[in-house]
Amino acid sequence: MAFVDHFIRNLTLSDLAIGLFFIGLFGAMTQRNIIKTIIAVGIMDVAAVAFFMMSNFTPGARPPVAMTPADVPMADPVPQALMITAIVIGVSVVAMCLAMYMRVMYRYGTADWDILIRRLQD
Amino acid sequence: MTAGWPLYLLVLGPVLLGAVTYFLPRRAYLWGMGLGNLALTAVAVHLFAQVRWGEPVQQYLAGWPPGVAIRLVADNLSVPLVLLTALFFTATYLFAARAGYMDKTFIFLFLLLEAAILGVLLSGDLFNIYVILELGMIGVAILIMYRQDKQSVYDAMVYIMMNFIGMAFLTLGVAYLYRITGVLDLAQIHDRLAELENPRAVVVPYALIMTAVAMKAALWPLFSWLPRAHGAPSAPSIVSAVLSGVQVKVGVYLLIRLNLVFIPVVNAQSFFLGIGYVTATLGFLLGIAQRDIKLMLAYSTVSQVGLIVVGLNLGTSEAYWGSMYHIINHALFKGLLFLTAGVIIEAYGTRACSQIRGVMRRLPLIGVGTLIGVLGITGAPLFNGSVSKYFIALGAAGNPAELGLYLINFGTLLLFVKYATILFGAPPAQVRIKRDPFVAAVALLFGLTILAGGLLGGPVIALVYGPVYAARGVFGLHKLLLFFATLAAALAVYRWVVARWDDRLEALCRFKPNFNQITVLITLFFAGLLTFAVRSV
Repeated sequence: MAFVDHFIRNLTLSDLAIGLFFIGLFGAMTQRNIIKTIIAVGIMDVAAVAFFMMSNFTPGARPPVAMTPADVPMADPVPQALMITAIVIGVSVVAMCLAMYMRVMYRYGTADWDILIRRLQD
Repeated sequence: MTAGWPLYLLVLGPVLLGAVTYFLPRRAYLWGMGLGNLALTAVAVHLFAQVRWGEPVQQYLAGWPPGVAIRLVADNLSVPLVLLTALFFTATYLFAARAGYMDKTFIFLFLLLEAAILGVLLSGDLFNIYVILELGMIGVAILIMYRQDKQSVYDAMVYIMMNFIGMAFLTLGVAYLYRITGVLDLAQIHDRLAELENPRAVVVPYALIMTAVAMKAALWPLFSWLPRAHGAPSAPSIVSAVLSGVQVKVGVYLLIRLNLVFIPVVNAQSFFLGIGYVTATLGFLLGIAQRDIKLMLAYSTVSQVGLIVVGLNLGTSEAYWGSMYHIINHALFKGLLFLTAGVIIEAYGTRACSQIRGVMRRLPLIGVGTLIGVLGITGAPLFNGSVSKYFIALGAAGNPAELGLYLINFGTLLLFVKYATILFGAPPAQVRIKRDPFVAAVALLFGLTILAGGLLGGPVIALVYGPVYAARGVFGLHKLLLFFATLAAALAVYRWVVARWDDRLEALCRFKPNFNQITVLITLFFAGLLTFAVRSV
């Protein structure tokens, strides 16, 4: 049990983000439901964003905004600025996937990838 | 260094053009669009001349100092493709200027795609590339399902979700790389990678990023999005032409560019060589099995991209420049083939290869255009495909890889023997013929360029890229005999095997992975590349 305890104590947010990424990937590999796969792909995107946010993380750093005293360590502003963009892109792509899903759902009446393919071939 | 036009003009220009002219009345709109396209092409030509006979252009956006700013760069690798993109979009716009589907929203999306392609080619910053790739992905998805008929929405959905997974891999890889190097600028990443104490750390971000890039370049086993997108039944032919001609080359370009960034640390050349062979072989096999002419062309694109990747990774300079030339050549002949295929489908009202007959007699000009495209792609003597394939074969000479090239050439010929059956025979009675001077002029222009690229192969490579090679061997008796022997073999195989086993081949195209299987394939590709890269470091 000491090993597990050590492992859990040393887990960082980055490790959790990697884990989340592969959970999302697993979901996309195994779920037949279209909505669930869209959720899974969204999870992968969010995990990648979270991992990016934690790169260059320094404990106790302050955000680099006005009024921050000069003598404390400052957080790296680049990941935050970039990830705002990535989050917006991710949201819009997920929204687009859901809109397409609605179209497909109305026309073929199924939320299952396999049944959908069968109905497309008829 | 910052003289000349600002580079962001080339990225912003198409979007602004589409947005501003949107509000003009119809007549002024067409003129404005034509002139705007010509102006963009002029800027691209000027940039090409400046870089080719001067030095690479680098610009830092918004006046920030180097290292902080987003860098735009135009160098010898990217400007030929920039020029190709601008010319290609202008030509396809003229081609379709009178077509029914060309409404303002469609043209705006079309120009957005041009901006996305130019943006990737001109970025020197990894995150910028990511953002622009996502923009292009959304644009392509909307263009695929623009008419919303049949299964186009499904095709677009699979396309966008698959690419979204690829983009998640890319984000994660970029984050890893940023954690290791602390920069996002490609040149700075390259410098810092060389100084790393532990080069093994780069392997994971390399595999993550390259998985996404290999998907963009449609390499096996990640190409299942390409036939859906390029051969989509509802997508207008100019969209297919642009996707196959230029957009898929963005993936190939990124493959070259990013491998150059990683080369001091990770070198997966032989991995991509093998993948290239499999891609090329599977591409023509699946292409022969198709019955839809647009899908045949789409799978042929997969095959040709495989050939390009093979040439790039053979490791000899002849093969490398042959492949670089093949990128341009493929854009020309596949663009022409898709454009003429669109006209043929409209005239005959069907997409089935077996029902279209006698194009030569009913639509002589389109028929000649198709024939030139077929001669180009099969590498017939005097046409441009022969030059690039000659150099790739020259670079592989004395290597077992050469045999693989013969196989790919044979497969391409077989596929296009099947495709060329639409040209001959007795045409059906009802064929709607629409005369359009723009269509004829653009088809003629493409055809002439293909012929010129074959006759002046060596000088054209020297003009566009720089290295001087004698292409005299292209016209040698040996090459001539080889081509006709391969052609005879392909005709025989078509006559005795493909035409008879049509139904059994049909079973081959039933094999289409669903979304879950696609995800598994992506994961397997990532795992394979990771394993290879770990062992190569």
